[in-house]
Amino acid sequence: MTVARAASSRRSFLGHSYNLVGVVASLVILAWTLVAIFAPYIIPHPIGDIVDDDYFGPMRQGLWLGSDYLGRDMLSRVLMGARYTVGISLAAVSIACFSGVVLGMIAAVTGGWFDTCLSRFLDAMNSIPSKLFGLVVVAAVGSSIPVLILTLAVIYIPGAYRFARALAVNINTMDFITVARVRGESTIYLIGSEILPNIIRPVLADFGLRFVFIVLLLSGLSFLGLGLQPPLADWGALVRENIGGLPFAAPAVIVPSLAIASLTISVNLLIDNLPQKIRDRDA
Amino acid sequence: MKSGVLNLVLKRLAIAIVTLLIVLFAVFFATSMLPGDTASILLGQAATPEAVAGLREAMHLNDPAILRFLRWLVGLLHGDLGTSYANEMPVAALIGGRFVNTMKLAGITTLISVPLALTLGITAAMLRGSVYDRTVTVLSIGVISVPEFMVATLAVLLFAVYLKWLPALSSVNEAHSLADLVRIYSMPVITLTFVISAQMIRMTRAAVIETLSTPYVEMALLKGASRSRMVLKHALPNALGPIVNAVALSLSYLVGGVIIVETIFNYPGIAKLMVDAVATRDLPLIQSCAMIFCLGYLLLITAADIVAIMSNPRLR
Amino acid sequence: MTDKITNWTGADDAMVENAIRRGASRRELLKMLLAGGAAVAAGGVVLGRATQAVAATPVSGGNFKAAGWSSSTADTLDPAKASLSTDYVRCCSLYNRLTFLDKDGKTQMELAESIDSKDAKTWTVKLRKGVTFHDGKDLTADDVVFSLKRHLDKSVGSKVAKIAAQMTGFKAVDKSTVEITLADPNADLPTILALHHFMIVADGTTDFSKGNGTGAFVLQTFEPGVRSVVTKNKNYWKSGKPYLDSFEFIAISDDSARVNALLSGDINFAAAINPRAMKLLQSQQGFELSKTTSGNYTDLNIRLDMDPGSKADFVTGMKYLVNREQIVKSALRGLGEIGNDQPVSPANIFHNADLKPKAFDPDKAKFHFKKAGLLGQSIPVVASDAATSSIDMAVIIQAAGAEIGMKLDVQRVPSDGYWDNYWLKAPVHFGNINPRPTPDILFSLLYASNAPWNESQYKSEKFDKLLVEARGLLDQAKRKEIYGQMQTMISEEAGTIIPAYISNVDALSSKVKGLEANPLGGMMGYAMAEYLWLEA
Repeated sequence: MTVARAASSRRSFLGHSYNLVGVVASLVILAWTLVAIFAPYIIPHPIGDIVDDDYFGPMRQGLWLGSDYLGRDMLSRVLMGARYTVGISLAAVSIACFSGVVLGMIAAVTGGWFDTCLSRFLDAMNSIPSKLFGLVVVAAVGSSIPVLILTLAVIYIPGAYRFARALAVNINTMDFITVARVRGESTIYLIGSEILPNIIRPVLADFGLRFVFIVLLLSGLSFLGLGLQPPLADWGALVRENIGGLPFAAPAVIVPSLAIASLTISVNLLIDNLPQKIRDRDA
Repeated sequence: MKSGVLNLVLKRLAIAIVTLLIVLFAVFFATSMLPGDTASILLGQAATPEAVAGLREAMHLNDPAILRFLRWLVGLLHGDLGTSYANEMPVAALIGGRFVNTMKLAGITTLISVPLALTLGITAAMLRGSVYDRTVTVLSIGVISVPEFMVATLAVLLFAVYLKWLPALSSVNEAHSLADLVRIYSMPVITLTFVISAQMIRMTRAAVIETLSTPYVEMALLKGASRSRMVLKHALPNALGPIVNAVALSLSYLVGGVIIVETIFNYPGIAKLMVDAVATRDLPLIQSCAMIFCLGYLLLITAADIVAIMSNPRLR
Repeated sequence: MTDKITNWTGADDAMVENAIRRGASRRELLKMLLAGGAAVAAGGVVLGRATQAVAATPVSGGNFKAAGWSSSTADTLDPAKASLSTDYVRCCSLYNRLTFLDKDGKTQMELAESIDSKDAKTWTVKLRKGVTFHDGKDLTADDVVFSLKRHLDKSVGSKVAKIAAQMTGFKAVDKSTVEITLADPNADLPTILALHHFMIVADGTTDFSKGNGTGAFVLQTFEPGVRSVVTKNKNYWKSGKPYLDSFEFIAISDDSARVNALLSGDINFAAAINPRAMKLLQSQQGFELSKTTSGNYTDLNIRLDMDPGSKADFVTGMKYLVNREQIVKSALRGLGEIGNDQPVSPANIFHNADLKPKAFDPDKAKFHFKKAGLLGQSIPVVASDAATSSIDMAVIIQAAGAEIGMKLDVQRVPSDGYWDNYWLKAPVHFGNINPRPTPDILFSLLYASNAPWNESQYKSEKFDKLLVEARGLLDQAKRKEIYGQMQTMISEEAGTIIPAYISNVDALSSKVKGLEANPLGGMMGYAMAEYLWLEA
């Protein structure tokens, strides 16, 4: 937020409108974060209570977003859903991208056997169907929210790794890296000061996409019995359980879809519109 | 030079085989960790201990799992994928037609989505910051943030139920002409294109922008080279590595990840076969499906790696 | 106009309840239930049409395409192994049984001409003559002996091995007479033989992929997990039948996709639709619904031999905490009948109509939980998509518990492996039981002390004695009395809470004629293919 504003002051008229998008995006994210934090205090009905005799009820007074397939208040469910979608997905995507990118850069810089082994190992991991993986996790360590976050992260590490490595390998051949190497710089310096600044934009774009994937996969894993337990539900799960309302354009299915779209689009737009400063190389 | 490439390919192939073995073992290990075996799952609610024991005996499930795994591997060397536990049919017969279906769907989707995504990604990067760029971003993210099953269901409701232009089910055995083929494949292909294009668009855009901002491209631009020429001649080849990786990762989804599309359009492919196999703990079938997924994936990423290396003279 | 069906109202409750109270005959009640109760009151376009269909004259010809809801590579044409509705439908089109249940739940003869016994222990089956298998072979006593006896062979993996175990002696007396001896007298044998697993196959069959039976259709294509196509058996022994030229069966596991395929005209018939899709179907022209309330139910099982079920007050408390009306109304959208914690549904002639379901009473529940010392403790309740509607039911019970300070911790577990890992095992969990034709089967499988699926570990010597006593009785009235008493015992003593019997609704194109509800399940007890015809 503050960064965005600082940047906008630096820019011309065109630059200003350019950053307006970033500001709006970050406002949306902030709003959802606040909802996530305060949801339990602001929901009008307990999320498990059936308050409507009808199902897929329309928007009306008292049930501002209508009712779901059981007749539960959609507003409360969407607000509470924000907690899980925002919280769990952000945690998972951060772990996945951080580990993936760091490993990818190390592999690119180090090369040799370390690179080969790690690459093959992660390729192998990526070839295991995620459903099978999810089932094994439930069977082996049971179900809890930390396990859910880790599972999501593990599923997405190989992808993040592969992409970051592909980028880093290209940079690694550049003259300035060779120069730095000759200077005798450490691997940590190389990846932190030379490689990362040069791949940060695509890496962040990757982060944004992975975030979308995780938001969606989250509901799939919940259905395998991993993590969230009824009556709790993330937005993806809300869409899924109310999909029967689609022919009637029920708010129960439209609203959580819009919520997902608003969050994921904002995250990606924010990334696209991050101020120049962050990615300036040797400023 | 040529032998260098050949060497590289051979080396990568050798590594791919090792990876495949690791995956097969990992999948085998994962399956044996899951509670329940084929006998008890086939009997379902009728699984009394005696009944399970009897059936297990009859199905030769009493041998240690690792022995059955090794036996399957040996069979594989002779080109035999084994026999399904669940229905005693040869695995090859079960997979055969479905594999062709999967490949058809994946092929058509690739033909449509890859050119589309690359074009959108590159043009968005060239016009970075413009309304066009932002529209592409919002649309591509918007499209993947809608769950796949919703896109598919919506498409069916619109095109099959209300407009009645297309059939709701993709019955492959009813394809007799090109027109049939188009009717049958339109909806699954559109859905899948939606799902996999975003990643390619976004990654292409990011990679091209990144190379556009490298010093030598910036220098060339300052010297007055035209932007589109720059992109095509210099930025693109340099961004090729990350792009082909993104394409490979997206396409690998088409081999084993299309379960939702297969379910909703009732399209008989191998993703659903794998799910069935896991549900019945049908080891030979799981292994064979896992092998196909893994091979497909390895093929794609190995190709991607080789393209990446070839495109960057310094990596050769 | 049809809102009444989708939106269960108090009036519908009262109607069924009154009918039960005034002692409606089973037939009346069944008719009412099948007609959808509320639908009749609301002018039921939807379900009232079955009678018209019967009056119309069948026409031959046409290709019928139907979709069930589940199928996998484990699909089989071996009747003994049949486990999904998909298998039943296919087997019904290819094979015949000795007997079958008609729409009123009465046992009728099919391949058997008669099944008689003097002592309910030794039974004589006279076979119909002139029946041939698809490959041209005549049906003989040997085929019947082979078909029944194989259920006892453990390596076959029969789903009804436990039920078949009571048949101890099989003898082909002559070419068309079989003698079956039971370990203990059982008056229900003719009904038991109507189970789908007891289809008659040719003697010595080991490869069932050909589907060689005596049934109305001949197998053309069978791809497990994908589809099957069968074509008219021109030599079928039931004259005039079947009407259809061919019958294709697929499975579409996605609820909305199944309905959409029907609406778009890709299929003629969609089995077991989600109650919430009824609004959509009613908004479109040319489709009808058929409702069947058979004995299918999802139950909450509290094991009496483990904590917390070992405290009787917990079990009693839970029975008061379950809001059955809400479950029928919200979870099943009115497509079910309120249950009274025992497995014999109103569709069964032995149903005890005097047994009232426990009313929802949170205060009483709270009283009992307090007495058990469990109020405020967190009790895990295991639910899964594997057991129909169990997650919705769990959430409803959980919310009711939250009101009175009883914390129920709903644990959603994967459907994959549910029956293996959680069912019968977890202290408090959900189960789902398919309809069984006789109380004897239900009780022996689910409530006898040595029952293989004794869901709550209910043990009662008195119950076991009554079970054996009723089994051998040929006097129906006396049996009904004993079974009534046993239902009361289960309802009050066992730890299984059966909040509702779940109705099945099939949706079909109006062109499809001849469909009638059947107490064995949807799709005319899975045997619809041979009775239906397509209007030109």
